[in-house]
Amino acid sequence: MSYRYNGGGRRRNYRDDHDDRFHEPFETPEERLKKNIIKFGDVDTEVEAPRLSKHLREIESPSIVTIADGIRIGFTEQPYKIPHYVALLRSISQDADGSTENSLGKQVLDDIWKGFQAFLDKLAWREVRLSIHFFAHLASAGLISIHSMLSLLQSFTAVLEEFGVSHNRAKNAALCAAEGLLIAGPSLKAHSPAEVTALVSAIETHVEASSANNFLVCPIVHLYERSGAVEGADEVLDIALALAKSLEKMEFSEASKAIVQPYEKDDGITFTPFFDLPSVLVPPEVIELDHLTNGEASTSPQKNDDWAEYKLHLFDSGVTAESTTILGYTTNALISDIIDIFEVNRKECARILLELPRWCPPGTFKPRANSPDTVVDGPCWQLESTLMENILSKLFTLPKPNHKAVYYVALITELCKLSPSTTGPSVGKSIRRLYGLLGDGLDVEIAQRFVTWFATHMSNFGFQWVWKEWIPDLQLVSHHPKRNFIRRSIEIEIRLAYYDRIIKTLPEPYLGSEAETVPDQAPAPEYEYDEPSKPHHDTAQSLLGLLKGRTKADEVITHIETLKNDLAESEINANVDTLIRSMAIQSLLHIGSRSFSHFLNAIERYLPVLRHLAPTSDAKLDILLAAADFWRRQRQMVLIVFDKLMQYQIVDPSDVIAWAFSKGSNASTSPCRIDAFRWGLIESALDKANGRVAIARRKVVALRKEEDESRARATASGNMEVDADVAAETEEAPVVDSPALTNAVKAQTTLIKEQKAVLSNTLGKFIDKLKDTSSILSEKAWQNRANWEDAEWETWETWAFYRNFCRLYAPYLRTYAETLGSVSISKIAGSSDEASLLLKKIWNASTGQEA
Amino acid sequence: MAHVVTPLDQPSNYKDSQARLDRQTQNDLLSKSSTLYVGNLSFYTTEEQIYELFSKCASPEDGGGVKRIIMGLDRNTRTPCGFCFVEYYSHAEAQACMRYINGTKLDERVIRCDLDLGYKEGRQFGRGKSGGQVRDEHRQDYDAGRGGWGAQAQRAEMERRREEQEQRYADAQDGPGAVAGGGGDWKESAAPPEQQTLKRGRSPEDENYDGTRTGQRLRTDDADVEGERM
Repeated sequence: MSYRYNGGGRRRNYRDDHDDRFHEPFETPEERLKKNIIKFGDVDTEVEAPRLSKHLREIESPSIVTIADGIRIGFTEQPYKIPHYVALLRSISQDADGSTENSLGKQVLDDIWKGFQAFLDKLAWREVRLSIHFFAHLASAGLISIHSMLSLLQSFTAVLEEFGVSHNRAKNAALCAAEGLLIAGPSLKAHSPAEVTALVSAIETHVEASSANNFLVCPIVHLYERSGAVEGADEVLDIALALAKSLEKMEFSEASKAIVQPYEKDDGITFTPFFDLPSVLVPPEVIELDHLTNGEASTSPQKNDDWAEYKLHLFDSGVTAESTTILGYTTNALISDIIDIFEVNRKECARILLELPRWCPPGTFKPRANSPDTVVDGPCWQLESTLMENILSKLFTLPKPNHKAVYYVALITELCKLSPSTTGPSVGKSIRRLYGLLGDGLDVEIAQRFVTWFATHMSNFGFQWVWKEWIPDLQLVSHHPKRNFIRRSIEIEIRLAYYDRIIKTLPEPYLGSEAETVPDQAPAPEYEYDEPSKPHHDTAQSLLGLLKGRTKADEVITHIETLKNDLAESEINANVDTLIRSMAIQSLLHIGSRSFSHFLNAIERYLPVLRHLAPTSDAKLDILLAAADFWRRQRQMVLIVFDKLMQYQIVDPSDVIAWAFSKGSNASTSPCRIDAFRWGLIESALDKANGRVAIARRKVVALRKEEDESRARATASGNMEVDADVAAETEEAPVVDSPALTNAVKAQTTLIKEQKAVLSNTLGKFIDKLKDTSSILSEKAWQNRANWEDAEWETWETWAFYRNFCRLYAPYLRTYAETLGSVSISKIAGSSDEASLLLKKIWNASTGQEA
Repeated sequence: MAHVVTPLDQPSNYKDSQARLDRQTQNDLLSKSSTLYVGNLSFYTTEEQIYELFSKCASPEDGGGVKRIIMGLDRNTRTPCGFCFVEYYSHAEAQACMRYINGTKLDERVIRCDLDLGYKEGRQFGRGKSGGQVRDEHRQDYDAGRGGWGAQAQRAEMERRREEQEQRYADAQDGPGAVAGGGGDWKESAAPPEQQTLKRGRSPEDENYDGTRTGQRLRTDDADVEGERM
C-alpha cells in the first residue's frame, strides 16, 4: 500500500487521517470496564473468571449501569458465553456477610431486567430469546426463583393463544418458551411437573394448528403433498417441540451433561433465590399502515417472515449435530445465532464458528487431529459439516434468507480460507448432497441459490470442481433439474470469469453440442443485420451509420419515419412497425454493445428515439423481443438491458412480464416454460414495480412529516404572537397539502395501480399456463419421474416457480388479495380438477385465506 | 451489533487527495454514499463481470440496483487500469458490498472495495504519471493481471483478453457528459409517450439526455447535490 505515503500532498492528508482515525479515543474507566466485561473469557474463562469477579467486587462505588450494560451486551452478542456470564454474576451476588439483598449482583440483575423490558418493548426477538437463556441459567444457578421463571415462560406461551397471532410472532414466542424450558428444565420440572407439561402442550397445540401453510415453504417440493412433512428436512418449531416432549418424558435427565454450567461449583456458597422476575406481558405488534388520501391502505416496506422455517439434512446421521438431542439442539441454535449476530463481520464470524468447540461440552465435536485430548466421551460430531449444514439451511430459508444470499456464500469462503483442509471436504459433500436432491424435488428457489453459491464459491477457489463425476447425468433429458443446474452453473461461472477460462475446466463430454451444456462460442451480441446477405441489411446499416455518427435524436426519428414509409411500399406482407423497431433497437444495442457503460451511453443519448419507437404495449413487447434476440448468446445482458429499459421508463414492468410469458420471437419452438432465466426477469419486473412504490412511499412519508412539523411550528409560534381568538381561527382553517406532497401522493397512487397490474398479470399468466396440467400432480406421476420427458419437467418447474411467486410476494398479494383474486382466481373458482385445486390452495396459503 | 467486533462496512482511512473537502464533510458524505471504489481489478476484467458480482448486493425490491459502473482508464492509452466505481441507488447496497464482497475474488483476484465520495468528472482516469494508477508505479511485484506478463502458458490468453479490453474503450471520451447516469427515479412525466414530443421540460433528466448536447454535463439528482457541495 505504498501509494498512501507518497508525495507531499498525500503526507499532509495522511496526517489528517491520523488525527481522526488512528488515535484510540480516550477511554474512561467505565468504558474500559465495559470492554473488559465484554471480552471476558476470550482467552480462558477459568483463569479470567476469578480475576474479573475480584476486580468487580473491589471497585469502589462501581457503576451498576456499566456492569449491567457490559454483561447484557456480553450475553446478547456472544451467546456462547451465556453460562459464563451467569457464573460471573453468581460470584458477585453475595456480600461478605452472606446476604444477597443489596449485593452487587442483585443490583446488576435489577438493571439487566430493565434492559430485558426494553428488548421486549421493541420485540427484539433474538435479544429477548437470549435474555431468556440467561435467566434460565440463572434459575438453574439458584439466583432466580423457579416460580417466577415459570411464569416468564408462561407469558410467552400466552402469546400463542392470542387471536390471529402472526406466524412469526408465535414462532418467536414459542421458541423463547421452549428454549427456556430446555435450559432450566430439571429445576422447573422438579418445581412443578404439571406446569411444565402445560407449557409443552401449549406449544404443541399451537404447532398443530399452525402448520397448514408449511407445505409452501418446504424445501422439497412434492406437488401431491398437502402437509409440510417431508423426509430430509425438519421445521424448527417441530424440532423444538419434539425435543421438549422427549425431554419432559425423561425428566430432563439428559440436560445436565448437555448444557455447560460453570456455575455448578463446589464453592460452599448456596443461594436462596433472591430475585423474582417481575411478571411481563409480551406487547402487541405494531402494524404500520399509512393511509393514502383515497382511503386505500398499503402496508409499509414488506416483511415476509410469517412462514415456517425448515432445516435441510445434508449429512448422514451421526455426522452433524442432531437437534433431536438437547446437545444437538443447543449447538445448532447457537451456530444459527452466531451466523446472524456476526453478519457485520464475516471474517470474525468464521473465526468464532471454528472456535466453537471450546464453548461446548467436551466431546461435542470430534477433537482436531493434532489435539491432546484424543479419546472423549460424547457424540463427536464433525464441526465443519455441522457449520455447513447450518449455514446452508439459513441460505436456503424460504421465501427469503435473513440476509442477502451473498453473505452466506462469503461466510463459507472465509471458513474455507481459515481452515481449508477441514472445511473443503464438508463443502464438497454438501454440494454432492444438494445436487443429489435436485432430481428429488429440491425447490427451484433453493436450486437457484445453490447455483449462485456454487458458481461464486468456485470463482473464489480457482473454478476447481470435479465435473467428471456428473458426466453420466448428461444422459438425462435436457430439462432435468440436474442438467439445468449444470448448465446454469457454467453460465454463471462464465459471467464471473470468461468463456475460455471456464471451458478449460470442463471435461470433454460437456463440450460437444449434443451435450447442450455450453455454447460453442464465447458470449457475444448477435446483430441480425450484420451480414450483407441478410434481408434489410442496407436499411439497417443506414440507421446504424446515423447512430454511430452521433446524429441528433430528432434527425434519427425523421430517418426512421422515412425508412418506415419506404418499407411499407416494398414489404407489403411484413409487419413494418415490428421490423423497424427490431432494426432500430438492434442498431442501438449494437453501438452500445462494447460494455454496460457503452450501452447506458447509447440509450441515454437516444432516449427520445426509444420513446418514439415504443408508444404502445405491443411496441414495447417488440422492443423487448428484439433486445432479447440481440443478446440471446449473452443472457446476462438481457437482464441488464431489460432492467435499464424499465429504469428509463421505455418499457414498463408489465411489458417484461408479457415478454417472460411469451414464446419469444421464434414462435415455432415449444410452448414456453418458466425456467430460471425467465423467472429472473419476472422477479426483476416485480421488484422494479414494488421498488418504485417503496421509493414513492418513502417520499410521501418524508414530505408529510416535514409538513406536519412545519405546521406544528407555525401553530406554536402563532399561538405566542396572536391572541386566542385568532389562533382558534387559524386552527380551523382546512389543512392543505403542499403541491409537492400532493404530487408525491399522486405518483404513489399511480405506481400502486401499476404494481397491482403487474402482480395481477403475473398471477393470471401462471394460472393460464398451469390450469390444464393435472396429469403430473399425482403421487404416482411423481414416482414415475425417471421416465419424464422435458415437457413434464418443464411443467413441474413452472409449478415450482408459481409457488415461489406466491410466497415471495405474499405480503403484496395479501394486500391486494381481493382485487387480484377476483380477476385471476375467479377464472378457476368453479373448477375441481387437481391443477385448479392446487392453484387455489397455493394462492390461499400465500394470501392467508382459508382454503 | 458492533460491540464485540468491528463491522466491515466502515470506510477505510483512504482519502481522496483531490477532493477539496474537510474531513468531517467527507465523513458525512461517506456515511450516505451509494458509490464504491473498487480496486485491485485485473486490467482485463469487464464491466459485465463486475455487474454480475456486484448485483448480488443490490436490493431492487427496495428501489435499488446497480446504477452505473465507471471503469477506471489509463489517462493516455484509454485502457482499463485496474479500478472502477460501482454506483448503486442506495447506501445500504454499497454497505452490503463492504460486508460481503470486499476481500473476495473477482476474476481470480482479491478485490478491494471502499465507500467513495461519488464519481466526479475526470475521476475515471488514472492519476499516475504514466496515466495509470499511482499504485502501479510503486508496485514491485510482477502481476500478470495488471500488465506484467505471467507464465508463458497464459500468455496467449492474456494477450487476447488484453486486445479485447484495450479496444473496448478506445472511444472513451472525457469532459462533461462522457459518463452515463444510469437512470433516475420513476417520473410521472415520462409515462404517457404522446406527451414526450411536446416539451421535455418537466423532468430535469430528460432535458440533458436528449442526445443533442453531448457536451453538456449530465445532471442527476445526486450530481446536483454534489455540485452544490463541491
